[in-house]
Amino acid sequence: MSDMQEEDYLGASARCVLFTLENEIYGIHVKKIREVLRVGVIRDVAGTPYNVLGVINVRGVIVTVIDTRTMYNMPSKEISELSRIIIVELDDDRAVGMLVDFVMEVKDIPESKIESLSASKDNASRYIQGIAHYQDNVIILIDVDNMFMGHE
Amino acid sequence: MDEEILQDFLVEAGDLIEQLNEQLVDLEQSPTDADLLNAVFRGFHTIKGGAGFLAITPLIEVCHRAENVFDKIRNGDVPYDAVAVDVILRAFDVVSEGMDLLKAGERELPDNDPVLLADLDRLTKGGSAEPEVEMSVPEGDSVLQLAEGSDPDGDMSDEEFEALLNQRDGGADDETSSPEGLSLAEGVDPDGDMSDEEFEALLNQRDASDLDEPDEVSEEDLTALLSDSDFIAEVAPASSIQPEKTVAKPVSKPTAKTKPVAKPAAESTVRVDTRRLDEIMNLVGELVLVRNRLLTLKSGEASPEDLANAVGNLDHVTTDLQASVMKTRMQPVKKVFGRFPRVVRDLARQLGKEISLELQGEETDLDKNLVEALADPLVHLVRNSVDHGVEMPDVRLAAGKPKGGTVVLAAQQEGDHILLSITDDGKGMDPDVLRQKAVEKGMLDEMTANQLDDKAAFELILAAGFSTADVISDISGRGVGMDVVKTMITKLNGSIDIDSVLGEGTKISIRVPLTLAILPTLMVGFDEDSYAIPLTSVQEIFDYNADKTNKIDGQMMVRLRERSIPLLFLSEWLAPHQVNENNTGDKVIIVSIGNQRVGLVVNQVNGQEEVVIKPLGVMLKKVSGYAGATITGNGSIALILDLPGVLERFQ
Repeated sequence: MSDMQEEDYLGASARCVLFTLENEIYGIHVKKIREVLRVGVIRDVAGTPYNVLGVINVRGVIVTVIDTRTMYNMPSKEISELSRIIIVELDDDRAVGMLVDFVMEVKDIPESKIESLSASKDNASRYIQGIAHYQDNVIILIDVDNMFMGHE
Repeated sequence: MDEEILQDFLVEAGDLIEQLNEQLVDLEQSPTDADLLNAVFRGFHTIKGGAGFLAITPLIEVCHRAENVFDKIRNGDVPYDAVAVDVILRAFDVVSEGMDLLKAGERELPDNDPVLLADLDRLTKGGSAEPEVEMSVPEGDSVLQLAEGSDPDGDMSDEEFEALLNQRDGGADDETSSPEGLSLAEGVDPDGDMSDEEFEALLNQRDASDLDEPDEVSEEDLTALLSDSDFIAEVAPASSIQPEKTVAKPVSKPTAKTKPVAKPAAESTVRVDTRRLDEIMNLVGELVLVRNRLLTLKSGEASPEDLANAVGNLDHVTTDLQASVMKTRMQPVKKVFGRFPRVVRDLARQLGKEISLELQGEETDLDKNLVEALADPLVHLVRNSVDHGVEMPDVRLAAGKPKGGTVVLAAQQEGDHILLSITDDGKGMDPDVLRQKAVEKGMLDEMTANQLDDKAAFELILAAGFSTADVISDISGRGVGMDVVKTMITKLNGSIDIDSVLGEGTKISIRVPLTLAILPTLMVGFDEDSYAIPLTSVQEIFDYNADKTNKIDGQMMVRLRERSIPLLFLSEWLAPHQVNENNTGDKVIIVSIGNQRVGLVVNQVNGQEEVVIKPLGVMLKKVSGYAGATITGNGSIALILDLPGVLERFQ
C-alpha cells in the first residue's frame, strides 16, 4: 500500500538514472546524462591518474572514461556484459564517461524523499548530493559536478 | 541591455577599434591627411552611435568628445599636435578598455576620468575659443542651477555635463531646471528620452552662449586660465591624473562587486564571406548526393566500378569541403599586425628613439587560433627590437646610419607554413659576447661555448634566464621573454630562426604551420596502440641497430654521422607491461625538439597520416606528453604526442 502511495505522488520529483556499484544503488539526475553506452574499446592513456581508465570515441569526440568504483574507494572490477559507460555532461563542451557495474532503470524520485547531505561534511561525502529512501531502497545520489570539479 | 545587439556592437566596434588603433598612429605621421581624419572621425562617430543605442554612457561621453575634437581638427580649427595626440590616445585607450570590459562580460562600465573629459573639451575649444570656455563656468552655474557647491576651480565643463546627464535622467527636472538661456526645447523631444541630440544641442548652445559674452573676460579670468593651461600641459603626460582617479574609483567599485556571477562569455565570432558560405553549402549538397548514391548502391547490387566511382567522388568532395571550411577560419595577419604601430610609437617615444615600423604582407591569411596565439610572442619580439635592437639616434649617427631606425614586420606564406619575420637595422648581436655571457652564467663551459657556431650562439638568447642586458629596464632585459616566446612557438609546432650581423641588424624569423586544426603526423605503434608524432619535427627514420648504440652515463645514445644522439625508448613509458630487452626490428625516429635532437625508439612505423586534433577531456588535460588525440582511418583512437612534454617525462 505504501508503495502505491509513493507511485501516486505528484509533487516535485527528480528523474534519475539508477545504477549499481558493488551492492549499492546510485543515481544521477537525467539532465546531466547524455547517453548510456555499452563498453567498447577503451584506449588506455599512459601516465594518467589511477581512476582514469582511458578514452573512448563517442561520435568523433574523445571522452575520458573513469572507473566510478575507484572514486568511492572500491577496488576495480573486470568489465562484464552488464557493465555500461554513462556519458555525463558537465557543461556544453565537457563530457565524461563513468564506468558502472550495471544500469538499472530511470526513476522519478520524489524530492521529499531526498535527504541532502550537508556539504560541510568531510571529504568522504564530497561527491554525494544526497540519499533517498525510496521503495525500500537506499539510493545514493551523485553530485557529478562536484566529482569532476578541479579535475581539469 | 539587449545582449544580441550588444554582441553585434562588440564585433563591429571591435573592428573599428582595431582600425582606429592603426589610423591614429598613421595620423600622427600625416596630420593633415583628410581621408584619414575623416576615417577616424567616422570611427568614433560609429562607436558612439552604437554605444548610444545601448546607452553605454561612459563610451558615449568619450566618443562624443573625441568626435568633436576631430571635427575641429578636420576643419583646421585645432592642430593635431603632440598634446592632442596624447589626449586622443588616452581617450582611445578608455574606449578600447571599455570594449574589453564589455567583452569580458562586464555590463556596467566605470565612470570616466573627469580629467580626460575635460582635456578633450579643452581640445575642442582649443585656439580662439579657449578663453570663453572658462567664461561658461559662472554663466552655466547660475543659469543651469548646477551650483550645489560643486568644484569652483573653473574645471567646470565636465561637472556641467554630468549635471546635465542627471537632469536628463531626472526627466521632470528637465522642465523646471532648464533655464531660459539653455532651454532644451528647441524642437527636441521634451519627454526626457533623448540622448545625443540633446547633448549636442546643449553643447552647441553653451558654445553659442560662450561666444555671446567674450567681453566679460576679466584679467583675473585670463590669468586663471593661463595657469590652467599650464596645468593641462602637466596633466597631458598622463601621470598626474592619479588623484582624480581615486575620486572616480568609489563609483566604479560597487558596480564591479554587484556584477552577476554567471559571466556571459564574449561570443567569439568569425566573419565569413557569403560567397564562401555558398561554396560550402554547394559542397555539402554534393556530399548529400554522394551519400544518396552510396545508400542506393548499398541496397542494390553494386558493381565494383560504381562503388569505386562513388567513393572517389566522396574523397573529392570531402577534400574540397575541408579546404573550404578551413578557409573560413582564416584571417588576415593584419589582425595581429594592427596593434604594432601603436606599440612601436609608444615605446620609441618612451625611449627617445626614432623608429619607423614597416608592415609587409598584412593580407596573408592564417588560422584564427594562430592569429590569437601569435600576438603575444610577436609583441615581445617587436619590443625587443625596439628596445635592444635599434640604437639611440646619436649612436646611430655616430655609426654612420640614418638617425631613425626601421623595424620591418613581415608575413608571407611558404607552402603550408607561414613565415613571420621581425627585422631591425639596429646594432645586431655579437656572437662572442653571447658565448662569453653563457659561460659567465654557467650555462655552458668554455669549450662548448667556443665550439658553437654563430647561429647556435644567437640561439642562446632563447634559453631561460639568459640576458645580455646589463641594465634591466621595465621593457625588456630580464631574460625571461625569449624563453617564453620559444615555448609558445614550439607549442604551435613552429620554429624560430635568428640571424644577426653585428652593427647591421637582427632578423628573427618564425615559421608556423598554416593551421592548428589539421596536423600531418607520422603514425607509430606498439602492438595495437598507435601514436602520432607531428611530422614537422621528424627528421629521419632508420632501423634500430644495437651495434650503433652506446650507454653513456646511463643514457643510451645512438651514433649518427659521427654524433651521438640520446635515445628515448617510448615503450618504457607507453607500454611498460611489455618490456622487451631486445629491440631488434624496432625503428629509431630522429626528431628535433626545439634546438635539440633525440631519437625515439618505437616498435612499428605505420606511415604518414593527416589527423584532426581533438582535445583530451576531463582529468587528462594536465597529463604531460600528449597534444591531443585523433581518430584513425579504422575508427580507433590514436594519441598525439607532444614532443616537449615527452622529453620532460624522460628527464
